[in-house]
Amino acid sequence: MRKRKKPILLLFKYLLLSFVSFFTLLPLIWMISTSLEPDKGLESYSLIPKEVTFRNYVEAWNYPKLYDPNVTLGTMFLNSIIVSSIITVLSLLFDSMAGYSLARKRFPGRNFLFWLALSTLMIPFYVVVIPMYLITMKLGLINTLTGLIIPFISSGFGVFLFRQTFLSIPLELEEAARIDGAGDLFIYWKIMLPLVKPTIATMAIFKVLWSWNMFFWPLLIIQDYSKMPINLGLTIFRGQYVTKWGLLTAGMIIATLPIIILFLTLQKWFIRGLTAGALKG
Amino acid sequence: MKSRSLKDTIVSYLFCAPAYLIFTIFIFVPIIWSFILSFTDYSLLTFGKPEFVGLANYIELFKDPVFLRAVLNTIYYSILYVPTTLVIGFIFALMLNDDFPGRNFFRLSMFIPVVVPMVVASIVWMLILSAHPTSLANRLLGLFGIPPKGWLTDPKLAMLSVAMVMVWKTFGYKMLLYLAAMQSIPYELYESAELDGATGWKKTIYITIPLLKPTTFFLVVTSVIDSFQIFTPIYIMTGGGPGYATTTLVNYLYEKGFKEFEMGYASAISYVLFLMLIILTFIQKKGFGSEEIF
Repeated sequence: MRKRKKPILLLFKYLLLSFVSFFTLLPLIWMISTSLEPDKGLESYSLIPKEVTFRNYVEAWNYPKLYDPNVTLGTMFLNSIIVSSIITVLSLLFDSMAGYSLARKRFPGRNFLFWLALSTLMIPFYVVVIPMYLITMKLGLINTLTGLIIPFISSGFGVFLFRQTFLSIPLELEEAARIDGAGDLFIYWKIMLPLVKPTIATMAIFKVLWSWNMFFWPLLIIQDYSKMPINLGLTIFRGQYVTKWGLLTAGMIIATLPIIILFLTLQKWFIRGLTAGALKG
Repeated sequence: MKSRSLKDTIVSYLFCAPAYLIFTIFIFVPIIWSFILSFTDYSLLTFGKPEFVGLANYIELFKDPVFLRAVLNTIYYSILYVPTTLVIGFIFALMLNDDFPGRNFFRLSMFIPVVVPMVVASIVWMLILSAHPTSLANRLLGLFGIPPKGWLTDPKLAMLSVAMVMVWKTFGYKMLLYLAAMQSIPYELYESAELDGATGWKKTIYITIPLLKPTTFFLVVTSVIDSFQIFTPIYIMTGGGPGYATTTLVNYLYEKGFKEFEMGYASAISYVLFLMLIILTFIQKKGFGSEEIF
């Protein structure tokens, strides 16, 4: 079908879409051009920089030294990478292990455990955050990277998603291996995991994005500049930075770049990861 | 049952152990603990022990003008944010569902804000919406001869600005989910509607919107839940101000719990929030009819 629309309507559509796209991207374009422009006071910031410099990036990189001589923005960047990669790897492992057991094994209490995993989805983070803080304090993990990581190395959502995926794999594959004498560890690691690569990729993206962007928890438990993830570092400096827009925007681009690069290269998986929670099947 | 069943059960539990250990320590114990704490007076600053005070925290909450203000602010924000982001997301999903040159570029550019870290988005907008006459927002107004505004410093505008920023940040996600759902609508439905003489608008109203009901339900529920838990953009852009104009429930929870370290009082705030979310979700489920959606 698809009768071509009237050209005037199509023109209108393009105009509207271009207009909205422009305004959607405008803050980001402005951020980039501000970061590239020499600091000359507020008025000089234009959308297309008249003069390009990378000085702001160098200064932003070294700015945390004013607070702690051993810390650069690189330290914080590294903290973010450490935290988000450990959270991602461990939660993929633990969620898929539990998911495997819940989907493939028969044992008393299985349904109850599944119900428990689902119930964690209904509990908002802010309702548990105060005891979480107290427990982290009792464990001596305040102001440590471990304290940033441990509470998030498994998630009810991950357990749920892996269980659903494992359920859809035909039993025969597993039975053949069992007849050959394979144990659970072998079946889980060598047979089941390779079959659910799409779910692993989806969850990995979801976790990386989530842990890179995490803010409230680091704000609560981290005080040392040397332990801050980059997002927290940026807000600490925003007060002092406020007239140095060039520096601040340069720091923000450094914090955003890994995620944007990841997004542009792995678009398909990103979109899967972000829609995973919403769509059935 | 075979003889290996006990060993098998143990193995099954071992596979579950790491995940459920974390759930227990960081979710199940805390959800009960914060309930108990909400009936105590417990200040971390004085290193005291939690002292049982019955319902005192809850009674005090409903006399606390800042808390009541925070409840109203949160509801106000939710009303500003949820319908706007959903409608805009839906409209652009509709526009970007057909195949035409440039479609992917438009989709991409509307989706990019979703992946920008919340902290970065908040700081960018804080600079753009600065009250200074040379800020980007005020210069754009200046093009139309409108005097500069204090987007984040005017009590009447501040929450509106926050909601606008959040719509910018999230409508691409709603669009994406609507697009995914639109793709699953069978094409034959539109064809037969056309044979019956349905035009573009009628097809949207009688086919697309009803068939997207599950997606709309999901988005309404999750957006309302998210909107009641807004924290980061407000913490960064306005700090809850000017005055208490943008203090929301979680911002107040943060103030009480982690600035004043009144853990009992803050726990009571968290349980009021929890209760509100449960009631809201329940009402929405009723409102959308009893069909099984999840």
